[in-house]
Amino acid sequence: MEPIKYLATDDTPEVTLDAENNTFRIAERSLPENAFEFYKPIYEWFEKYVQSPNRYTELHFHLDYFNTASAKQISKLLTLLEQIKSSLIVKWHYYSDDIDMEETGARYARLTGISFALIEEETEDDDELKIIYD
Amino acid sequence: MLENEETTYNIIDLLHSSKMSYFYRGQLTQNITDGILALTETNLSKAQEPVKVKKRVYTILVEGLQNITRHQDLKNERKSFFGIEQSGDFYFITMANTIGNAKIDELSMQLDKINSLEKNELKEFYKRALMENELSEKGGAGLGLIEMARKSGNKLQYSFKQLNDKVSYFYLRTYIKHNLDDVSSETNHLEFDNIFRLHQQLDEENVLIVFNGIFNQESLINLLSIIESQMAGQPTLKKRVFNIMVELLQNIVKHGVTPFNDDGNPGIFYISDSPNGYKLCTGNYIANENIANLKEKIEDVNKLNKKELNDFYDKRLFNFQIDNSKESGLGLIELRLKSNSQLKHSFKGTSEKISFFTIEVTIQE
Repeated sequence: MEPIKYLATDDTPEVTLDAENNTFRIAERSLPENAFEFYKPIYEWFEKYVQSPNRYTELHFHLDYFNTASAKQISKLLTLLEQIKSSLIVKWHYYSDDIDMEETGARYARLTGISFALIEEETEDDDELKIIYD
Repeated sequence: MLENEETTYNIIDLLHSSKMSYFYRGQLTQNITDGILALTETNLSKAQEPVKVKKRVYTILVEGLQNITRHQDLKNERKSFFGIEQSGDFYFITMANTIGNAKIDELSMQLDKINSLEKNELKEFYKRALMENELSEKGGAGLGLIEMARKSGNKLQYSFKQLNDKVSYFYLRTYIKHNLDDVSSETNHLEFDNIFRLHQQLDEENVLIVFNGIFNQESLINLLSIIESQMAGQPTLKKRVFNIMVELLQNIVKHGVTPFNDDGNPGIFYISDSPNGYKLCTGNYIANENIANLKEKIEDVNKLNKKELNDFYDKRLFNFQIDNSKESGLGLIELRLKSNSQLKHSFKGTSEKISFFTIEVTIQE
C-alpha cells in the first residue's frame, strides 16, 4: 500500500500512515475548515488497510489541539478500526498539563471497543514571552 | 439577552463605517507583532491592492509597531493600542501609547517639524537624522516618525490625551490612499473622536483584540497566533480559549452570510479579559430563516447540566448522520463544556432577509 505522509501545517496535522514500516501517526494540530474533506483520504486509506492489516497495529495520536469537526472524523476512523481491534492498540499521547486532551483520550477509550493507552508527555518549554527591539 | 449587548453594539457601531479593521490592546512581543503583520498581509492580498500600496502600509505598520515596542512601559497598567482600518479610499493606521507629560512639548515640535517639510526636504531630513543617529547611538531619534511620514505621503496626525499629572496617551494616526496618483489630501477623515471613544470602550472592557472584517480560515489562523502569544496563564485555560475561539470563528466561516457583495463572511470578534474570566464574543450576519433553529439549539444546550452535556457530546460524537463539510453537531456543546457557562446570544434584524447574530462565551474555571 502507498503510504500517506503529510507534513503539519498551521491548521492540519502531521500524518504518517505507512503499513510497510508499521508506522501510524497523527500529530500536532487539526483544525481545518473542512475536516470532512481533509480526513477523507485518511479514512479511505484505512478502509483498504483493514482488509489486510499488519499482524500488530499501533496507532499514535499525538495531537496538541483539534476542533470539533476533526473530533467527529477521529470517531469515524476509530469506528472503522474496530474491525481490527484484536490486533490494534491506540496510543493517545497528551502533554502533562493538558487535562482536556487526557479526558478526550479517555472519552474515546470508553466509547470504542479499542484498547487505548493514555501516555503522558513532558510539556515543552515555552519561550514566547521574549520582548523584542530592546 | 446579551448582558453586554450595549458594548457589543457600541464597538460594532464605532467600527461600522470601516470595511476592515482590527485593534489590539496590550504588550507587543515578537510573536504578536508577527501575527499582526501576517494578519495585515492576508487582508491586503485579499484586497487586491497594488504592490506599492501594500509595501507602504506594511512599512508603516512595522515602523509603528517598533515605535511602540521601543517606548512601551512594560510595568504600566495602561496598555498600548494599535489599529489598522480600511475605510473608503484609505487605510488608516493608528497607534497610542503612554508618554510622560514632560516629553510632550519636544515630541510635538518634532512632529510639527516633520509635517512642515515637503517630500524632498523630508528625504534630506531623514538622511541627516540617520547620520546623527549613528553618531549619537541614541536610538529612535524620530527616524521611525520620518519614515512613516515619507511612506504615507501624508501628514502625521497626532493628539495627546492627559491621563493624570504624570502621563498622557500619545495618539498617532496616518493614512494611505489606495490610489497613489491621487494627491489630494482629505484630512477631514482624520478625526480622533471616534478613536478616543473606541479606545475608551476597549479600555473599560479590557478588550485584548477586536477584529472586524472578513472571516476566513486564514484570518482565523492569524488571529489565533496573536491570541496564543498574548495570553498568559495556565495552559489548560489557554487551550480552552483557543478551543472556543476556533469553534466560534469557524461557525462564522461556515454559517455566516454577507449582506454586501463581498466574497467571504463579514463579522466581528473580540476577546476581553473580564473580571469573570476571558470573554469571547462574535457577531455575524445570518439568514432570518435560520434564526428559529439556531435559537432553539442554543437554548437547548443552555438547559443541560455538565453530566447531560457530556452524555449529549458522547452521543453526537458517534452520530454519523450529522457528518458533512459544514456540520458535526458538536460545536455548541463544546462551547458549553469548555466554558463552563451559559451561552448568551442576541439577534438584531437588519433587513427582511438578514439579521445580526451575536454570541458571547465567558470562560469560567
